[in-house]
Amino acid sequence: MVHYFARRILIGIFTLGLITLVIYGLIRNMPGDPLALAALGALDAGQQVSSVHYEAMRKEMGLDRHWMVGYFQWLSGLLQGDLGNSLVGDRMAVTAIIAPRIGPTLLLSMTSLVLAYLLSIPLGLYCGVRSGTWQERTLTTLLYMLYSLPSFVAALYFLILFSVRLDWLPLSGMRSSDEVYGRLSAPGKAWDILRHLVLPVACSTYASLAYYVRFIRSNLQEVIRQDYIRTARAKGLSERAVVLKHAFRNTLIPLVTLFGLTLTALLSGSVILEQIFGWPGIGRLFLDRIYQRDYPVIMGLVLLFSLLVLAGNLLADLLYALVDPRISYS
Amino acid sequence: MKSQGAGAAAPRTGNQRKSAGRAAGYWSEVWRRYRKSRLGVLALLMVVFLGLVAAGAPFIAGTRPIACRYQGNWYFPCLYYYNQRWENPVLIREGFRRSPYPQRLREKDPRSIAIWPLFYADPYRRVEEGEWPGRPRDTGPSPPRLRNPFGTDDLGRDVLARMVHGTSIALLVGFVAMGIAALIGLVVGGLAGYFGGWVDVVLSRLIELVMAVPPIILILALIAILERPTIWHTMAVIGCTRWESIARYARGEFLRLKETEFITAARALGASAPRIMFRHMLPNALAPVVVALTFGIAGAILIESGLSFLGLGGDPSAPSWGRILNEGFPSLGGDSPQWWLILFPGLGIFTAVLVYNLVGDTFQEASDPRLRGSSR
Repeated sequence: MVHYFARRILIGIFTLGLITLVIYGLIRNMPGDPLALAALGALDAGQQVSSVHYEAMRKEMGLDRHWMVGYFQWLSGLLQGDLGNSLVGDRMAVTAIIAPRIGPTLLLSMTSLVLAYLLSIPLGLYCGVRSGTWQERTLTTLLYMLYSLPSFVAALYFLILFSVRLDWLPLSGMRSSDEVYGRLSAPGKAWDILRHLVLPVACSTYASLAYYVRFIRSNLQEVIRQDYIRTARAKGLSERAVVLKHAFRNTLIPLVTLFGLTLTALLSGSVILEQIFGWPGIGRLFLDRIYQRDYPVIMGLVLLFSLLVLAGNLLADLLYALVDPRISYS
Repeated sequence: MKSQGAGAAAPRTGNQRKSAGRAAGYWSEVWRRYRKSRLGVLALLMVVFLGLVAAGAPFIAGTRPIACRYQGNWYFPCLYYYNQRWENPVLIREGFRRSPYPQRLREKDPRSIAIWPLFYADPYRRVEEGEWPGRPRDTGPSPPRLRNPFGTDDLGRDVLARMVHGTSIALLVGFVAMGIAALIGLVVGGLAGYFGGWVDVVLSRLIELVMAVPPIILILALIAILERPTIWHTMAVIGCTRWESIARYARGEFLRLKETEFITAARALGASAPRIMFRHMLPNALAPVVVALTFGIAGAILIESGLSFLGLGGDPSAPSWGRILNEGFPSLGGDSPQWWLILFPGLGIFTAVLVYNLVGDTFQEASDPRLRGSSR
């Protein structure tokens, strides 16, 4: 088993190298570079960069070299633990730009993940056990519709209803403006963030909720037809014990693998939602930096995302082997 | 049990009473089971309806006659909406591009006849005063009213007309993108499954590679490298990034079919590899691929509208549903929120995604013999 995972990790590192190479090649070939775009912005301010100065800056940023050379420079920096500096603004270190964005994204995605699991397990069990009744059908249909409702459409609908019409919840951002937020007491601050959190969390929860419930329900229906369930019933156990102790525990196995796969969505699945809600997270950073052609920051984020996907897949396999003794990787 | 795969096992193993059925028999059996689901049939009807709206958009909403008899000849000015070059040069010379059709027809040839679309409104411009008898100038932005059931946008363009004409964008993206994805997926998955060995190792790594990049990241990076992305670029990008599930299904099916007796028989008869793959294996591997394809269409519609919403969907004047959302979004923070620019296109996207998902689900249940009779 150790052997298996060692091999998987090696392949993962190789994959990571390929992904970063491809993405680096792509973004370096995007039309325009950070300097040209910055110069475009500076044009109105009347502080145009002289062409000599421009060339010097290009050279200093390494933009005059072929992208392959640039990639290997980036890679050697990475191996020394250096992700480089941003090419725009005050040229901060990439890690210093990304780090403050992780918190807001995690706050959003962890809350919605926990909520989705907390709600989907009872709902899925209910749907699986009461299969065929009208309550179950209504619930299933409703969840199915939710599953097909794109989260950004729902986000816009929520904004119209709760922020514009009813004016119950704030329109965007993670907290109120600094002068308002600064005057609040500690519980007031928490309440403020919570109010900003409601809509984004609702939007990122409902879609996965619908998916999980369907997943649990279909697994439960498969398990409930097994012989050992019949045995459990035959020996006179209560229906409650049969469902919770015998059936549900066996549906946990696929659920655990699902958890590993959602790890990615935790950090990356929110580009559009963060954009709509003005949430200062990773997804919005990525989109902004694509527009600004800030190569080092984009590469840092791509590395983060791909690492998460690979780690998620690995975690799924590992958990699978842990919870299901029948599985062994050898 | 999982490795048993879905789909085409029916004609060979299951259902003894119908054992005479060949491939065609299998599909009619699938259709028989599909029809049992009322929701599935309803969704299929909606799919057909959306297709009709997309194909016949100029017949539903437009400011150009479907057909008109002008100075003794018949013309079809509505073709302009399909392709600007299809407008008859005679009509361009007669000045129909400068002033709108109803007016011009009356002025130049009082005896002209015209067959008009159901609804007089244009997806690309506002309707002006006196253009159509009794119809005032369309001002914008305006909430829904009698002559603009879905309201108008900032430029006074009718939202219903824009949505009707945007249907073809959504569906075209779905079909073209998934066509590309199916081609790549079937080739990669099919070759990996059929040849196995090192071919499989290499191609499987490729599939894993594509799976390891979050799709939105790859799509954004690909869209961003285009100087001036059009809707066709969007389709190509979605197609080139969303093929991995099709490839996985195709690989699984080809792997399974390779071991079956009828393939061994075909091989013993001396059939060539392409013949075995296309004539014998592909038709039997199709059911799960079609399922993945239907879900893929829903996904592609979703991605396209998302990209357009972010302002990355190509031509800004194209009336894509996501683009209308994009135009309405900034107004939400202002004093006069234009909710109709959000509500109706949102419903359009939702409906399209929902019906394709439903059709995919129903088809999956109908085509998978393992699930037969299990859903109560």
